[in-house]
Amino acid sequence: MDDLSFDVAPGEFFGFLGPNGAGKTTTINAIVGLATFQAGEIRVFGHDVVRDYRRARLCVGLSPQEFNFDRYLSIEEILIYQAGYYGMPPSAARPRARELLAQFSLLDKRRNTYLELSGGMKRRLSLARALVHRPRLLILDEPTAGMDVELRLELWDFLRDLNAGGMTIFMTSHYLEEVERLCNRIGIINHGRLVALEDKQTLRASHGNASLQDVFLALVGRPTRG
Amino acid sequence: MGNTVGLVTLVRRELKRTLMVINQVVWPPVITTLLFLFIFGVSLGSRIQTLGGVPYVEFLLPGLVMLNVISSSYDESASSIFQQRFMNSIQELLIAPLSPLEIVAGFLTGSVLRGLVIGNLVMLIGLLLVGVHPRHVVVYISFMTLTALLFSAVGMIAGLLGKTWDNLAIFTTFIITPLTYIGGVFSSIGLLPPILRHVSLFNPMLYMIDGLRLSYTGRAEVNLVTDATVVTFLALVSLIIAATLTARGVNLRV
Repeated sequence: MDDLSFDVAPGEFFGFLGPNGAGKTTTINAIVGLATFQAGEIRVFGHDVVRDYRRARLCVGLSPQEFNFDRYLSIEEILIYQAGYYGMPPSAARPRARELLAQFSLLDKRRNTYLELSGGMKRRLSLARALVHRPRLLILDEPTAGMDVELRLELWDFLRDLNAGGMTIFMTSHYLEEVERLCNRIGIINHGRLVALEDKQTLRASHGNASLQDVFLALVGRPTRG
Repeated sequence: MGNTVGLVTLVRRELKRTLMVINQVVWPPVITTLLFLFIFGVSLGSRIQTLGGVPYVEFLLPGLVMLNVISSSYDESASSIFQQRFMNSIQELLIAPLSPLEIVAGFLTGSVLRGLVIGNLVMLIGLLLVGVHPRHVVVYISFMTLTALLFSAVGMIAGLLGKTWDNLAIFTTFIITPLTYIGGVFSSIGLLPPILRHVSLFNPMLYMIDGLRLSYTGRAEVNLVTDATVVTFLALVSLIIAATLTARGVNLRV
């Protein structure tokens, strides 16, 4: 990353865009503690992610791009154990897991392992796991990859409701339509540098009301299409 | 502000994993112990009256207990960590509000418990089949626990540094197994020529087996204080290395 600096306001739905290899996942990894950094600081709701990592991590739920579930656990156990890692005792974790399984239509699969789920179900499980400890910031790295259109629309509604309820959402996606529909503000990085940081109307207006796709292609230095 | 619930959850997860592979965990030590007892205790052992001043089967059994404590505690932490690294599921732990020490403690507790369960299972087989059992319980528990801790930490180091499953097997095949077998499981170093006897003193397994054997026979080939000092020192060094690697995020964080 190269001198990357930006804020996301509480309650915001923030879209973080960039071409493959631009540094989106690296940025997310630095926020959640999966990557170390030599200089600079990251704060989550005022908590430094290195010095005050416990409080910072309690505020964050992550749904990563690649599935990384524990294959020894059932779907329900994945949620219960993850809640436990966040300090939630089994007496509180079990009902919370059931609540999320019902919410994401996975209740009838609760005894299966994740290997027995379809791609869309795995994506929903990933989201449920990210929410199990009731975070204030939800980080979604390509949340709708592998989902069919119907599931994607359902997820959009769900994310809008979450955001309306006060959840701050930080999302990366290659589907620019998705970002345009959901996000209030957009940051675009290229080669580790921030090349745009605006609310979406201002961003498009500053490029002659072009589509987000054309704005994106112009900013990352690629020719626009049609 | 610690995360006790998180730590207990990790221990539960490790025990759950052990139960899921119980056929790989319990039956191999039971069967090999029965075979060793039959071949060396009953068949060949009947030709050996005493070794180290005690009946051969009494000499052999603590060695078998230690053999299984070492292999099961190493296998548990090495394979669990490597597998979680391989599947990326270790990220579930790394993004949670758990300190590096809590993560180390969780993996090691699960691994030590497996070592103790398997070690005591072998002890019970000896008690039931040949009537041999430890007489000095504090020495027995101390050496078994310290050795399980040492090899759980060694397994954790291997699980963190290993790049392939083959790396983990190399460590077992070329270091742990030979050193254990020549460290006095089956015979006394007193039977070796003087030069080899001195070389054997550099084998750390000797002190673990000797300490545990003392809990059975009341006799040590080295002595209790040296045995305990060596095992405690090695356990501490291994723990520090495992904790440092975890805190630095070696092969865990990018």
